[in-house]
Amino acid sequence: MEKTTKILTVDDSRSMRALLRVALLERGYDVSEAEDGVEALEWLETNSADVIITDINMPRLDGFGLIEKVRASTRHIDRPILVLTTESSDEKKKRARDAGATGWIVKPFDPEKLAAAVRRVAY
Amino acid sequence: MFMDPKLADAASRRSRVTVMQGMVETSDDESIVLTTVLGSCIAACLFDPVARVGGMNHFLLAEPSSTQVNADVHYGIYLMELLINDMLKQGAAKSRMKAHIYGGAMIHRNMQPIGQRNSELAERFLNTEQIIISHRDVGGTNARRVDFLAATGKARCRHVDGSAAPAVKPTTLPARSVGDVEFF
Repeated sequence: MEKTTKILTVDDSRSMRALLRVALLERGYDVSEAEDGVEALEWLETNSADVIITDINMPRLDGFGLIEKVRASTRHIDRPILVLTTESSDEKKKRARDAGATGWIVKPFDPEKLAAAVRRVAY
Repeated sequence: MFMDPKLADAASRRSRVTVMQGMVETSDDESIVLTTVLGSCIAACLFDPVARVGGMNHFLLAEPSSTQVNADVHYGIYLMELLINDMLKQGAAKSRMKAHIYGGAMIHRNMQPIGQRNSELAERFLNTEQIIISHRDVGGTNARRVDFLAATGKARCRHVDGSAAPAVKPTTLPARSVGDVEFF
């Protein structure tokens, strides 16, 4: 049996997490959620995801901080991380790339394009 | 009618910024008044009383029967999130934000209840995000003119004749391709 791809979504907006959950569950993915970078790191201490989808603007620990900490860890160093954000500036994009993000998606997201991106980076 | 000279002076120094459909404006400047005219459209006005930052968005989603419903809900949530993020950049905190919502009228009798659907979306979003709605003036058959002093959180909503409302046209999605993915 083919293994279900596990996705961790990280966004401080419950509405956005709900949209992501519906879009990803409908396409057969297993979805877990965290409301900011701190909660995501706590979750990743005892769980693992095949792909992380994270927002940038979040309280406590933002998306940049989360990417840096995941890349500095031993367990999740190679985990694909897609940034999903309202930000579109080149400066922010460069910062995410330098921190180690795998891809950049500007909201509002298209569920099909998002699923295609997940398929491409998941392994 | 006489106006307090101080108030008259403050009013004369104010500049008005019109928030058109599909737009988001924020400000921490006490001389800026965000203003809009709404028919079926909704404007959410958010305010952080500590940071003294506020903002307004203005949107109209498609009709209930539209096949675009999913994309529209994404776009409505996107405009709410854009408003919150722009305020965060100016020092606001989401936990302190309070909201006013205006609009969602049914201007023409034989119109589909899109205004109601828009106000429900705004209300649901704000409830989900645990942002307190301190004032709402929605529904009915009149258009509304809203003035919002973003930096102080003071709002004024006047009911005006339906003919003052801009033409009903669902907010178009951004010109750029929605949700394009760029791999690094």
